[in-house]
Amino acid sequence: MNEPVHQLDRLQRWMQSVITHPEGVSAGIESETAREQFDIDVDEIETVISRSKALNSIERLHVYGNAYYARLIECMAGEFPATQTALGEEAFGGFVMGYLQVSPSTSYTLGDLGRKFPDYLAESRPPREIQGPDWADFLIELATLELAYSEVFDGPGEEQMELLRADDLLAISPDKWGDSRLRTAASLRLLRFQFPVQEYAAAVRQGNEAIVPQPYDTWLAINRRDYIVRRRPLPELAFVILEQLQQGAPLTDAIETAVADHNVDMTGFADRLREWFGSWTRDGYFVDVEID
Amino acid sequence: MPAPRLGHPLLGMGVGLRSVHYPHILAHQPEVDWFEIISENYMDSRGRPRYVLDQIAERYPIVMHGVSLSIGSTDPLNHEYLHKLKALAGSVNAHWVSDHVCWTGVAGRNTHDLLPVPLTEETLKHMVERIRIVQDVLERPFVLENPSSYVTFACSEMPEWEFISRMAEEADCGLLLDVNNVYVSSVNHDFDPVEYVENVPHERIVQCHLAGHTNCGTHLIDTHDGHVIDPVWELYRRAHQLTGGMSTLLEWDARIPEFPVVHAEVLKAKQHIADELERVAKGRNSSRDDSPITSGDAAIVTEPVVPHPAVLVTAEVE
Repeated sequence: MNEPVHQLDRLQRWMQSVITHPEGVSAGIESETAREQFDIDVDEIETVISRSKALNSIERLHVYGNAYYARLIECMAGEFPATQTALGEEAFGGFVMGYLQVSPSTSYTLGDLGRKFPDYLAESRPPREIQGPDWADFLIELATLELAYSEVFDGPGEEQMELLRADDLLAISPDKWGDSRLRTAASLRLLRFQFPVQEYAAAVRQGNEAIVPQPYDTWLAINRRDYIVRRRPLPELAFVILEQLQQGAPLTDAIETAVADHNVDMTGFADRLREWFGSWTRDGYFVDVEID
Repeated sequence: MPAPRLGHPLLGMGVGLRSVHYPHILAHQPEVDWFEIISENYMDSRGRPRYVLDQIAERYPIVMHGVSLSIGSTDPLNHEYLHKLKALAGSVNAHWVSDHVCWTGVAGRNTHDLLPVPLTEETLKHMVERIRIVQDVLERPFVLENPSSYVTFACSEMPEWEFISRMAEEADCGLLLDVNNVYVSSVNHDFDPVEYVENVPHERIVQCHLAGHTNCGTHLIDTHDGHVIDPVWELYRRAHQLTGGMSTLLEWDARIPEFPVVHAEVLKAKQHIADELERVAKGRNSSRDDSPITSGDAAIVTEPVVPHPAVLVTAEVE
């Protein structure tokens, strides 16, 4: 080892590369990144890390090496419990370890740890072997849903705001609909899935038997009310109208765009619209209305 | 000579606020003297954690305890983080803000672990400079805790008690003496925990932490998952006698029991203080009795355990 050897920065960079090495601390000591700081072999470790009466230097470093992955896997399991259940503990741990290699935490908060996990699963998915939605799609969608739950739970909400009521909507004269834009709640997320992943996630969170569902198109609205995350499956047409409104389309345009893109049976359509808007205002999807 | 606790109030017996206890605390408003929060769980929260904290802060004194300041790192201080810390402290009227004598990552990364620093003159100078900056930004009492650790560095030049004593004196900051951490590190590093407690600057000890740990046979791991063992209570009694009283807090972060169990654990401190006073009144020298502080009765655990910290608030879904 060259002099001077124990500068704080070199020691920290060395120790971090050793204890976060996916193959363990011995492999970490031998790694190129560690050797850039201290070019030592495993049998020279006592020049950096002292031994105790009970443990040698490598055994002592193992405490940190083992803890790094175990702690972060535990946190990810807390945020993605259904994804972990679907994969099984061992496979989930393997995916998290892979994820941490490409997206190690750079944030002061563990709340950011899983932000890119669904993207990682999507980028590392195996090639498709069947037509249509497959097992990998299910896992990616499940992780996407659980990430949305976390973000909605601790993100901006409307609990301290007065929300738009059904009466407020009814008070808008139909001739003003073309100029009316409904401002949707900040907590509202609209997510399309190929599997009813919310049912699987609910079973896991409630401690019930979780059965991987058959795929079918699912349109979900997720928001927060009274500080609890709520989710509501929607018919596709209702979802598209809500999506248009969230994107800022005037009321009439939102409805006409959705109707034009779908083969809508207009029988009773006005009643369905009234029912949807009634439930959406009850669920707190709209903050207010702006009339141009 | 600074005033005891640097003049900061003696808050009594507090409990670390954890999300599993929110419903109990809001429903029963237990007679807890004060709460300590994990700063990072609330700094960015715009949901239930922050809503609950605001209610609790209206009724109870609050102290903030962080795990990501990384005061010992050679990375630049994160000023965005510091300003969020300051804003939160202001909004909950935190009596003081604390973190650990450690680094959590380097080269832009966060390992989310409390990693030990080499106890050198170089490290001391580096940390003292950074503590001064943090204090200037926070404009609020700042306190640093001795962490549990599992390695020591060949380059270290002084014992830990000397390092943190000089650090606190030179940076003019407070100390959070975690007597469980002293005990855990003393077993792991073969030093005398009593010497440690007796030599740190007692007037700078603003707060004390108590917690349980796990005995792995060859070493101890700071897991915060159980009752405080007798040798740690012994250190607590000595620290109490030497400081004249510290705001005392119990941490329980894994396998967390019902709130009354956690609260009862910290209230045991009152009995230990009373016992200590009785011993002193009877003329016994308790600060250095003849019985050595040795390993507790806890069973040896052989399966892997994860050291503190890993405190994540998880979503509540209908």
